[in-house]
Amino acid sequence: MIEVQHLSKRYGPFTAVNDVSFRVEKGEILGFLGPNGAGKTSTMRVITGYMPPTDGKVTVAGFDVFTHPIEAKKRTGYLPETPPLYPDMTVREYLTFAARIKVGSLSTADRNTRVMNVMKKTFVDDMANRQCGKLSKGYRQRVGLAQALIHEPEVLVLDEPTAGLDPKQITETRELVRGLAGSHTIILSTHILPEVAQTCSRVVIINKGKVVAVDTPDNLTHQLKGAAILYVQVGGTQDAAAALSGVPGVRQVRESDRHEEFLGYEIEAEPNRDVRKDVAKAVVNNGWGLLELRPMRLSLEEIFLQLTTEDKQTAAAAPVSPDATTVVEQEANNG
Amino acid sequence: MAESLRNIRAIAGKELRAYYSSPVAWVLMGLFAALFGYFFIVYLDSFVRESMGGQFGQAPPTVNVNMSMIRPLLGNASILILFVLPMVTMRTYAEEKKSGTIELLLTSPLKDGEIILGKFAGAMAMYLGILGVTLLYMSVLFIWGNPSWQMVLSGYLGLILLGAGFVATGLFISTLTSNQMVAGTASFVIFLLLWIISWFGESAGPTIGSILRYLSITEHFDDFGKGVIDTKHLVFYISFVAFGLFLATKSVDSDRWRG
Repeated sequence: MIEVQHLSKRYGPFTAVNDVSFRVEKGEILGFLGPNGAGKTSTMRVITGYMPPTDGKVTVAGFDVFTHPIEAKKRTGYLPETPPLYPDMTVREYLTFAARIKVGSLSTADRNTRVMNVMKKTFVDDMANRQCGKLSKGYRQRVGLAQALIHEPEVLVLDEPTAGLDPKQITETRELVRGLAGSHTIILSTHILPEVAQTCSRVVIINKGKVVAVDTPDNLTHQLKGAAILYVQVGGTQDAAAALSGVPGVRQVRESDRHEEFLGYEIEAEPNRDVRKDVAKAVVNNGWGLLELRPMRLSLEEIFLQLTTEDKQTAAAAPVSPDATTVVEQEANNG
Repeated sequence: MAESLRNIRAIAGKELRAYYSSPVAWVLMGLFAALFGYFFIVYLDSFVRESMGGQFGQAPPTVNVNMSMIRPLLGNASILILFVLPMVTMRTYAEEKKSGTIELLLTSPLKDGEIILGKFAGAMAMYLGILGVTLLYMSVLFIWGNPSWQMVLSGYLGLILLGAGFVATGLFISTLTSNQMVAGTASFVIFLLLWIISWFGESAGPTIGSILRYLSITEHFDDFGKGVIDTKHLVFYISFVAFGLFLATKSVDSDRWRG
């Protein structure tokens, strides 16, 4: 449905996207994962026809977005990072305008029905007569989504649809997006790892304009668990690092914070080994209090550090294929 | 074709609504009405004096409403729009760039030309609304006087063409920046330049002088104000507008390449 082939985008001397290729099949939700400035927005802007590629080719529903922009745009709905709303228009006026410019011929009655339906679908119908400029962030995002859906496109491109929302709104938006899969092919960008795990069927990880890995979220999280780090809080002020290092399966112990009453440690375990029980036992056996024990989630930035800085050559040579996941593992092993 | 017209109409309608949902349109119309009204009263006053004088046989009875009222009034209107139109055109594109709504337009199935023509039509409709206010004053002349229809019509045609030239230029300038104030100021400077370029024409040599005078957008208005519709001026204005719109469309495209 969406095919990106050797896409590059340069702004003057700066390369934002460098030879990126991937495919999205019909009905799939593809997560587009990367830190800020990785080239996500640039890639999405090329896919939606907002700007032309410097190099490479993108087809949407069989239409080249550069040579047949109108046909491709008729089949693409796009929610940019900031929803493109006119502050003076009411939600209804705004969506009516979007319907006018996106759907060729519609009778007034049909257009009104369509606007009504899309407002219900995105749960903004209660704000139909409110000015867009006076909406809360969550509503703005959903009106932006309504705008992207108004012409019933086959392809949806959503640029960080949950950014800046509160937790309840995030869950709602994710559910909404999941509900759209099947009838739509979706590309969704984010820098939040669990979001991808919850919504997407496949993930493309991009960093500094290059694809670093393509895989299913399950495989990815599995691989990343290999590099899990535990956080332990031990009562008292004695040095527990030596005792903790002695626990089988523990590779490295680092003191992370020191307080009057307790100490915090970060424990790195061997890949795919659960050391929680043994760590707890070691603390209790020594007669210290076990105040806290929890796995620390690797932030995406840390994964990227692992993927990109430790061994540049491996990362750069990583092909856009299942092999890429082994890179994650190797990097994790390198610690 | 039908689809293009529909798209242009949708954008023009949106533009016009944007003018009237903010105070800008009303302020501009009020300002224009007040200034035009001031000139109207000044000319009316001197016209009445002159014709009174004519009645007592002190002055030659050559005063007529066409030459003493309509012509100078339309001439003044042509200067007034120089100040008013930058305020109409400055927001057209710059605002969309600033607020990011341009992403909606550029990712919708619209051609660049349709966006520009829609915005041009919207700004022209706004301009016609401003110009429409002056019809009130003109109707006073028609009720109590007997002015020449031809002169009024050709004068307004000239004002519309002159305004269209300014609007097309202002729209082009607005595509160049995301800052409305920059767009407004630059438009005003350019409009002013297009007006006074003929003054330099006076002092330059005969060849360059005639070129400069030809380029001056207000120079071509004079004949319309006299009640003469000359094809050479029509051609000038229409090509001027077309060139401005062409530049604006190209600017949208080149902006896209720069990202």
